[in-house]
Amino acid sequence: MSAHEHHLKRLNELFAEELEAGIRYLHLATSVKGLDRLVVTKTLLEGMQETFEHAQTIAERINQMGGVPSLDLKLQLPPQKISGAEAIRTALAFEQAALDAYREFCDEIKDDVALEEFIREQVGVESQHVAELTLLLEE
Amino acid sequence: MESWKEFDQNPITHSVAHHLVAIADLLDEFGYARVSDVARLLGITRGSVSVTLKNLKQRGLVVEDEQRHLGLSDEGAEIAEAIRFRKRTMVRLFAEVFGVEAKQAEIDACKIEHLISAETTDRVKGFLRFCESGDGEALFDAYARYRDRAQDATK
Repeated sequence: MSAHEHHLKRLNELFAEELEAGIRYLHLATSVKGLDRLVVTKTLLEGMQETFEHAQTIAERINQMGGVPSLDLKLQLPPQKISGAEAIRTALAFEQAALDAYREFCDEIKDDVALEEFIREQVGVESQHVAELTLLLEE
Repeated sequence: MESWKEFDQNPITHSVAHHLVAIADLLDEFGYARVSDVARLLGITRGSVSVTLKNLKQRGLVVEDEQRHLGLSDEGAEIAEAIRFRKRTMVRLFAEVFGVEAKQAEIDACKIEHLISAETTDRVKGFLRFCESGDGEALFDAYARYRDRAQDATK
């Protein structure tokens, strides 16, 4: 596999991470029960909006590099009643995973300055998102 | 007649079983396991693995160190080993005794590995030992001949 093909494969993995995160945000936003809904739902729906935008950005990048966005999601989201704090903890888990995936990919890119810069920007955005969620969980 | 309802209440779901076994397999093969390794092994996103592991950590089945390396608690390791034992046993029953093709035997064993009871697994294990013993060998051979004849007849 060439470096270019490897980069496209990684970008498609990131595309899947972002789209799945968007779906998870929507599921969490509609699963929060009780008074927490008033506080947390808006944050979760904003997270959904942002991750779908990230997915679109990644898909555009794949197209620009001559690839085709592909998706193979295996996602089961059983019905659940969840508190606001637990929803944020779940969001933090998949946001941190996405951030790690961006960081790992950034370390792998050696020969494409433009792509490295693009991913570095995404790392910045994801880091900020993780920090915001972490702040919400502080006592 | 009500036992089918228990499937939905089994605390070790198919997904949980796969995550625990994946971590155990990675630890055996490489000596470490990370979220990215589990995701690649299972062919799912890291986000999906992280959400499942969050629950498994809360249940005390999975542990994570400061370097974010994953491990299994004693209880987690025990469950993973039991599932692997059941799968190995059922693969042998399906492939060696029933003559199911190896890949299909793996798939079918995978479907029941986390649901079948320890008692039944032990009985299957005992039956396999019987098949290998002097007493069982003749019976096993007779069954294999019958099975092959029946398969030929249906072709």
